[in-house]
Amino acid sequence: MARVAREMVERSGVDVDQLLELLVKNAAAELTTFYYYTILRVNLIGLQGEGIKAIAETARIEDRNHFEALVPRIYELGGKLPDDMKEFHDMSACPPASLPKKPDDVQAVLKVLVEAERCAVRGYTQICNMTAGKDHRTYDLALAILNEEIEHESWFSEFLGEGPSGHFLREGQTSPFVSKFMK
Amino acid sequence: MAEKEFTQQQLAQFDGKEGRRAYIAYRGKVYDATDGFLWMGGRHQALHQAGEDLTDVLDTAPHGEDLLERIPEIGKLIP
Repeated sequence: MARVAREMVERSGVDVDQLLELLVKNAAAELTTFYYYTILRVNLIGLQGEGIKAIAETARIEDRNHFEALVPRIYELGGKLPDDMKEFHDMSACPPASLPKKPDDVQAVLKVLVEAERCAVRGYTQICNMTAGKDHRTYDLALAILNEEIEHESWFSEFLGEGPSGHFLREGQTSPFVSKFMK
Repeated sequence: MAEKEFTQQQLAQFDGKEGRRAYIAYRGKVYDATDGFLWMGGRHQALHQAGEDLTDVLDTAPHGEDLLERIPEIGKLIP
């Protein structure tokens, strides 16, 4: 634990235990989403599905990166991940991104993907709101993740015909915002 | 069927803990969040507890009333 780092956050008025619970819940959401997206990606086949597979894969890898980036901050602040993986799954800040009953229904898969991203956008907005101007390091991390989650939402939303957002797909390295926390 | 009515005290008994059902209130309506993944154990996102009237706190949440529409409405909150 980074004792003084935690103390500074406490002194700023943030409820650190509450923040830690949110960070762990969002870490759980990232790792479980990585798992569920693996299944979704495998099932994105056919003329429609193959066209979405690449962005589903990018989102999957970046969600795993988010998990990796969150973990050090949880331990710095004196928190920990649960010993039990089942407990970790069930405390996720977002519901499971389960494969639809008709796995070949690409629209249904897209709706699962966009709902998962929207849940993440809400979660990191909450953490940014809690930490802005108070816990600078957590804010910086949550903002970096939020930037990527918003792009994920936009990618899937555009495929659902909800309107343009002006984003391009990744070229080269993943996690342009979060990678600085993973060095 | 007559709409079920809950006072604040009655609502507080449905806190989702120890197997109890998780009811929440918003703008006079009572919702049953028991089966919602995000209300497991009666807690929501480390910040909110079932058995409470959330009317005043939804404004600070990162979502609007639309997400409440996914939760079954089961009655109304009376003074």
